[in-house]
Amino acid sequence: MFEQVFFSGLALGSIYGLVALGFAVIFKATDVFNFAQGMFVVCGAYFAVTAISILQLPFPLAILFIIGAAALLGVLIHMVLIQPLSGRPMLSVIMLTIALSIALRAFIEIVFGPQGRSLATPMPTGVLMLGEVRISYLHLTAALVSWVCMAGFGLFFRFTSVGLLMRACADNHEAVVVSGVNVNTMNRLAWGIGSTLAAVGGVFLGQLQIASTELEGIGLLALPAVVIGGMQSIPGAIIGGLLVGIIEQMAATYISPKSSDIVIYVLLLLILMVRPWGLFGQRELGRV
Amino acid sequence: MTASTLAFSHQARHWGLLLSATLCSLTAWGQDAPQDGVYKDRIDWGVLMDMSGPTSASQGIWVHGFRDHMRKINEAGGINGRKINVLAEDNRFNPATDKIAFEKLVSQTPVIAISGMGTSVSQVALAPTIKAGKVPIVGTYTATKALSEPVSPMVYNGFCGYKQMAQAGVGYHVDKLKLKSAKVVTLAIETAGGKEYHDYVAEAVGKLGGSASHLTVKVTAVDMTPQILEIMKLKPDFITVYGVSNTAILTMKGLAQYGLNIPTFGITYLGAPQIFQSMGSAAAANYKFISCFTPGGADQTPGNKALSQYADTIGRGDMKQDINYVAGWISAQMAAEALTKLGKNPTRARLIETLSKGFTVNTQGLTAPITYTPTNNTGPVVFKLIGYDFAVNKFKAYGEFADYEKYAR
Repeated sequence: MFEQVFFSGLALGSIYGLVALGFAVIFKATDVFNFAQGMFVVCGAYFAVTAISILQLPFPLAILFIIGAAALLGVLIHMVLIQPLSGRPMLSVIMLTIALSIALRAFIEIVFGPQGRSLATPMPTGVLMLGEVRISYLHLTAALVSWVCMAGFGLFFRFTSVGLLMRACADNHEAVVVSGVNVNTMNRLAWGIGSTLAAVGGVFLGQLQIASTELEGIGLLALPAVVIGGMQSIPGAIIGGLLVGIIEQMAATYISPKSSDIVIYVLLLLILMVRPWGLFGQRELGRV
Repeated sequence: MTASTLAFSHQARHWGLLLSATLCSLTAWGQDAPQDGVYKDRIDWGVLMDMSGPTSASQGIWVHGFRDHMRKINEAGGINGRKINVLAEDNRFNPATDKIAFEKLVSQTPVIAISGMGTSVSQVALAPTIKAGKVPIVGTYTATKALSEPVSPMVYNGFCGYKQMAQAGVGYHVDKLKLKSAKVVTLAIETAGGKEYHDYVAEAVGKLGGSASHLTVKVTAVDMTPQILEIMKLKPDFITVYGVSNTAILTMKGLAQYGLNIPTFGITYLGAPQIFQSMGSAAAANYKFISCFTPGGADQTPGNKALSQYADTIGRGDMKQDINYVAGWISAQMAAEALTKLGKNPTRARLIETLSKGFTVNTQGLTAPITYTPTNNTGPVVFKLIGYDFAVNKFKAYGEFADYEKYAR
């Protein structure tokens, strides 16, 4: 039983980790605490509905469509809404992301109607037996894709010149500007990556359940993940996501479903009190 | 008379005339003022539902069903020479908004009656006001004890009740599976309604010599592994699900993942085609929902044909299979039936008086006949189980309402 619960938690945590990674990328690059991240998850599910059910694109093309649309959405939001607020107090930007989230929800409900949409992709749906442990192929695919994305972006940030520039922008904005790097381009890229990662999570959540605006709440579970892991840390977001997934399943199994919220948020409070920069974040020191 | 006195007298006459004219026009306006939302050419009927927020996916569709039936009536000339104007207020899943909207419909933009009241918390909060007020609630979307018990001439339930859902669903499965001491699991989201539903299930199965266990799940659950492992331990004969669409989808997908073939039925609210489609044909093979309404297109009764044809005509073909759409349509039928009885001079007081004597709504097969009496305003009490035929992408009923009448005790 323990193994079964652990593996299901790991699969679930992988999706949270993916969304949390997108959140961390945006925060690290632009210092924006994006409350619309949950709606990016919803957008991903509806991009999939559009590509697969409405446009009936072949699956590989549909994947390209979803990634392209999600990246474009992130870039446009940065260009039109976030960039003009550059230098303004953080509260204004936070309010903007909350307003954006509400507007996106209303827009989706107007375009697609209030009903949820079923999302059927050609992804495998059977069950894999590993000894006594049963893992659905869909969960396994979600976990594998999440890990590939996480590893891919980890390598991107570590070894590519664009990734290094993005990290530099996040670490020392002024120094990068002086070096002649176009910071806005880097920030747009960060928003594009962040929204794409959330959208990929949304595609899996949409297929595991149903494509509806209610996925926003699940997408927002990435928030405790990213705080636990460390707001500024890419690996921290991933491990935070996995931790949240495993804790949720363990608490639901051995205590009660409701207790999972208590356990997750008590952990979050403890982290904020003892190590506010998260498990994998770095303490910021400032000269006085 | 001096010039100044003359000027004063002239001015006074001028003001007097102006005052008289104002009074006259005010009197005329008063005579033309809406009496309880009733005008020369129309009657205003209120709707209070969540058209945005977390429950809008179901309640928003109910509003479409309600509006569409009224639209059909208006296209045919209205009721007793007046068109029905539906004033729908969006509660946004917020009891405070509900209270403001309710007061607005009672006094500011008066309506003759109100339908919907979808948020149970608001129902509980507003129950004393409604029962002591002057505006009847005809066709509630959810039936809370606070509003529906004891019976009040101000409230007429318009949706399937949890108690009756439990009785019919449990009764049917116990009979069908020939169980002597049935073991049932109620899988419900962690809400007061979920607990209440489980209590009804436990009561129904207890009367038939069986027992029920209660498992809970989060509304935002993404995985049901803990619950499915518990179900494997409990080995129930059948399961009943209370929750949102995801609760049903994840339950059936989870059962399929573990190779468990356990008959399962969901509450009426879990009767939307996209729920079955999201489960997939294999996982949905064991799933049905219990309903006092027949989804559009599921049979050929006159009521169902009328609903289906009209929904197709106005481009709502995709909603007609949704049970919430049918529920809204039927609540509008209730409202229309009530207004028809009032004749040429409808008022709130006459509506209350007429309804309190009891009335029957003939939905022509969309439900079993719905009868209200001075001592019973429960509304629809006869149910049937409905599954989904993936070959034709339509709902299919397991028997007729008449087959289930024995469970409506």
